Amino acid sequence: MSTWYDMNVILIQTTLTTLLLALSIQVPLRFGVFSFAGVGAFGIGGYTAAIAMVRFEWSTWPAVALGALLAGAITLLVGLVVQRLTGLYMGMATIAFTLIVSVLAVNGGDWTGGAMGLYGALGEISIPQLAVVVLVVVGLLQLTELSSMGRRVDAVRDDPELANAVGVNVVLYRRMSFLVSGLIGGLAGAMTTLLRTTITPAEVNFHLVIVSLTAIVVGGSRSWVGALIGSIIFVWLPTWIAFVAEWEKVAYGFIVAAAAIYLPNGVLGVIKDGWHRFRTRDERARAAAVAEEA
Amino acid sequence: MTVTTEMPTAPLMEVRDVAVHFGGVKAVDGISMKLEPGAIYGVLGPNGSGKSTLLGAMTRLTPMTRGAFVFEGTDYTRKPARAVHRMGIARTFQTVRLLEDRSVRDNVLLGVDAVGRSQRKEAAAQVSDVLERLGILEIEALRPDELSYGMQRRVEFARAIISRPRLLLLDEPTAGMNSAEREEIGGLMRQLLAEGITQFIVEHDVQMMVDTCDRLYAMNFGKLIAEGTPTEVVRHPAVQEAYLGKGAGQHA
Repeated sequence: MSTWYDMNVILIQTTLTTLLLALSIQVPLRFGVFSFAGVGAFGIGGYTAAIAMVRFEWSTWPAVALGALLAGAITLLVGLVVQRLTGLYMGMATIAFTLIVSVLAVNGGDWTGGAMGLYGALGEISIPQLAVVVLVVVGLLQLTELSSMGRRVDAVRDDPELANAVGVNVVLYRRMSFLVSGLIGGLAGAMTTLLRTTITPAEVNFHLVIVSLTAIVVGGSRSWVGALIGSIIFVWLPTWIAFVAEWEKVAYGFIVAAAAIYLPNGVLGVIKDGWHRFRTRDERARAAAVAEEA
Repeated sequence: MTVTTEMPTAPLMEVRDVAVHFGGVKAVDGISMKLEPGAIYGVLGPNGSGKSTLLGAMTRLTPMTRGAFVFEGTDYTRKPARAVHRMGIARTFQTVRLLEDRSVRDNVLLGVDAVGRSQRKEAAAQVSDVLERLGILEIEALRPDELSYGMQRRVEFARAIISRPRLLLLDEPTAGMNSAEREEIGGLMRQLLAEGITQFIVEHDVQMMVDTCDRLYAMNFGKLIAEGTPTEVVRHPAVQEAYLGKGAGQHA
């Protein structure tokens, strides 16, 4: 076991940081907000933490906290500006925000190290510490999926007018989803950067949108469990399909396309549907019998 | 059960000269009503007469052009839609609107998810009662797409009454139901009335309205064309004309 752990430390670490990034995109989606601002928050969090450590000699955890808080605050402001947009337009505006962050990183001079990025942010984060942070985030998100809060969130996403009609403050919920997305994205960026000790503008780019979105599409968009499944699949896939060698990207593409077509609610959706069918088999038979009589 | 207009008590709900215009279209054009507690009110009118728009405005989901709404003495014209539910006004929709991935029980509980904590606890304790009364307790774990249309309607009904509203707004509650189901819903409305829930129904099915309502309004082209007891309103020449065309009034 411990040799397996030692051999796969990097993959475990990447799984956890990818999960945080995926959650920063998934949270707004769960609230019906098509926002990719979490990726911009990832960049802000990463650069903020690196600058705090390299330029101001802060220690690891204050730098991480500053990165997450600043990213959360800025993402909330972006949310206030774009909150009236819907669907694709919201997606475009928030991708633009992400691109602006990477342009600022390139042109930030000494602050951001330009195209070369920042080096030597020697954070001290162990895998158990990273795991605890992820557990806290996931635990808090679980509260938003349970009972009354979970139903309100579902209503805000699936039918905002209905949500309003039963008394839910839809606008407030959507704003909060930007704040949470920014905090989690910033946390992901700060920790990823301090684990790698470097950050460059090339790392804060559109490919992060694709990584997080595919993880959510394949795993499931309605719960953090789906994001976890998706993160595990995409971080570990290269080691599982090493036999396809240079066809790896093609295999990746097929998996994403197949999931989008055949698993509209991701792997988690299939599991949940199966469980639901099993649990309600008697009730469904009874309902069918009643319908037959009528 | 019958409504006497001379009653000195304050009305439960007052609609004051309400208008909703969409560009040049006057969907609702200067409607005034007083709803006393303890009765079932109905608004009758052909499709497109503005009755559903009026109901939308009453819940503040549809922006209004002018007028005011007063519920239990409180003018809520400027309050947001979400505040209306908390005041004690619940509604159902013209089409079934349920959360697809949620069970029947969850969909019903959504009706009290955004009210005060104490009221939510109280309602949660009664949810099985409400499900039972609507005949959906046995299927509480199923999802909407596994239910017949009539059953889905009952779930909507349960979601609206779980919060114990003082005023229940029903937008075509029996649309798409067979006659047995209609009668059942009519009976349920009378039962809810006995428990003190005043109801306001918007509907184009004349028979259903005559059977269920204590007092009727008739609307056409955004205006009230008649008001009174069900028989009075149905016999009113303007109503006959709206439903059957000119000249039909003489045969009534």
